[in-house]
Amino acid sequence: MTIEKADKPLIRVRGVRRTYMQGTVEVHALRGVDLDIYPGEFSALAGPSGSGKTTLLNMIGCLDEPSAGQIFIGPDEVTHLNRTAGAEYRLKHVGFIFQAYNLIPVLTAWENAEFVLLLQGVGEAERRRILDPLFERVGLADYKHRKPHEMSGGQQQRVAIVRAIAPSPRVVLADEPTANLDSATSTSLLDLMVELNREQGVTFLFSSHDALVLERASRIVSLDSGLIVNDTAHPNIRQPETVP
Amino acid sequence: MLKLAWRNLWRNYTRTFIIGSAIAFSYAMMLVSLGINSDSHGKLRDAAEVAAGGNVLIHSEGFWESQASDLVLQNPTELIDQARAIPGVAELIPRILINGLVSSSRGNEPAHIRGILPDKERLLSDVSTNLIAGEFLGDTYPSPIVLSQNLVEKLKIELGDKVVLTASTPDGEVTRALFHLDGIIKSGVAGEAGSIAYTTLAAASAAVQMQDRISQIGVLAAPGFTPEMLAKNLKQTLPTGTSDALEILTWEQAIPEMKGLLEFDQAFGYIYLFVIFVIVLLAIANTFLMAVMERVREYGLLDAIGLTPGRIGQLVVWEAALLGAMAIVVGFVVALILHLIIAHVGIDLASLGADDVEMAGVGLSDMVIRSRFEADRWFFGGACVFVIVMISALYPALRAMRLAPAQAMRFYE
Repeated sequence: MTIEKADKPLIRVRGVRRTYMQGTVEVHALRGVDLDIYPGEFSALAGPSGSGKTTLLNMIGCLDEPSAGQIFIGPDEVTHLNRTAGAEYRLKHVGFIFQAYNLIPVLTAWENAEFVLLLQGVGEAERRRILDPLFERVGLADYKHRKPHEMSGGQQQRVAIVRAIAPSPRVVLADEPTANLDSATSTSLLDLMVELNREQGVTFLFSSHDALVLERASRIVSLDSGLIVNDTAHPNIRQPETVP
Repeated sequence: MLKLAWRNLWRNYTRTFIIGSAIAFSYAMMLVSLGINSDSHGKLRDAAEVAAGGNVLIHSEGFWESQASDLVLQNPTELIDQARAIPGVAELIPRILINGLVSSSRGNEPAHIRGILPDKERLLSDVSTNLIAGEFLGDTYPSPIVLSQNLVEKLKIELGDKVVLTASTPDGEVTRALFHLDGIIKSGVAGEAGSIAYTTLAAASAAVQMQDRISQIGVLAAPGFTPEMLAKNLKQTLPTGTSDALEILTWEQAIPEMKGLLEFDQAFGYIYLFVIFVIVLLAIANTFLMAVMERVREYGLLDAIGLTPGRIGQLVVWEAALLGAMAIVVGFVVALILHLIIAHVGIDLASLGADDVEMAGVGLSDMVIRSRFEADRWFFGGACVFVIVMISALYPALRAMRLAPAQAMRFYE
């Protein structure tokens, strides 16, 4: 596999602020954030609870709108997409993994994973071609027809990973994906994501304060009170990568 | 989407069952009520036509209002020949109507005597089926009369007894005529219908010296012709509006109270259905809203993975559509079973205490109400219920669409 460093950022965050009212109190969740994420990165937004990491992740995923500033994904500005455009953008370019309640309870593991592909209009044969190896890869080939409540938390998160990467998004945004898992399951899950990042060049951006996540991240962006207070890259541990 | 909607529907069996049953039950009751309503209205119309004397009535101008003995049809044979050729005329029934006093040796009672041709009259209604004693205008007596049980009891007479009719002739003279009690029919109803008596056209003519004149021609419409169409055709051909003019009335004009009563009943029925539907609509809307609020995080997740707000709304609408369609099918089957039972067994109004009841002068004593299937009304009803269900899902769908994804994902059940 040929690996080369990308030199243009995939995600550009410029002067992003987010203010909202909590009752009569004005809360400044983000106070002016600048950030570049490169293709193939395995990065983490770290910080204490309330530091603004989930808010920033939501902004990048177009789930929330900044009060000020700009956000670009590739060449596209996504700062103020309306609800429909935001959903369509996520469908095509962003994969999401959440802390909990990741799967649709009435659908099987396979149906959950193929849901996004179905929305994209991918045909059945193509869906099988994409999903079969991914289910094999995450070790859930025998769990395809199980409903979420018939699987463990770790297995559910693996299905969520398959769903997130199956449509080959530009970036996978993972909001505290290990928060509800024991350490053995978390380790196994993170190792899987690291491998997918290395093998398939999937760009991952985490929001987490879990040490297991942070020790695997190639770059840690620390936030506190809505500001980036530290941005530590580890180019010697793992370079941002792309797959040709 | 359809699969997801279907499975969402069965997440909470109890709730789906309860709300589905409510829709199905409301729809079934609506159809049964439509079926009974349709049959009862049809029977009331038929009874009103019989009470009036035909689909359309021909009199001398002003007779129906005044019932005056001098307002007669002068040349009935010519008139009948002329009317027979008019499109829509199936049958013409001549009658002599006399309002007089019937006396026996033990009493006097006012009566409405109808001089009829029994064979012709049978085409409209076979009164002889109400006979409880004697004959219906047989050959035993030259001037037979059939009285209601009510009159017979008041006059204290028996079959074969003589009664004297006192009435006015067309020339304004008071005359008396002798009749023999030939038969007794059950009166059954109170008021006017209980004072009706029957005699032959010839005997009536002789009694009040009508010679060739008659009081009324009852006209029966041919299939495909409404009373209004028939009356219009008759008015176009027969002389009306002149000094010797005719009065041509549909049964609805002759008994406007019945028409008003049917219209009122129908309007009341629609109001009742409207109220039921509003209740059902609010109940369904509430249930769907509960289902939406229970799944806030899930809608957030769907939004996050790329389902547009429009498609999230569609999901709720699909759920409502599936529930509505299922409930309508079940409701239709239930209604059909009830319809078949009621159509077969019937509801005997007499057994419900209506044996002495009349509406707008029309007796209900013999009426057995059944259910009548009218495909267009039933399917229209189904469409209305479906539309109601869909309307009830609109607000919950709108709420689901408006959930902000970032907030929805933070929402914990």
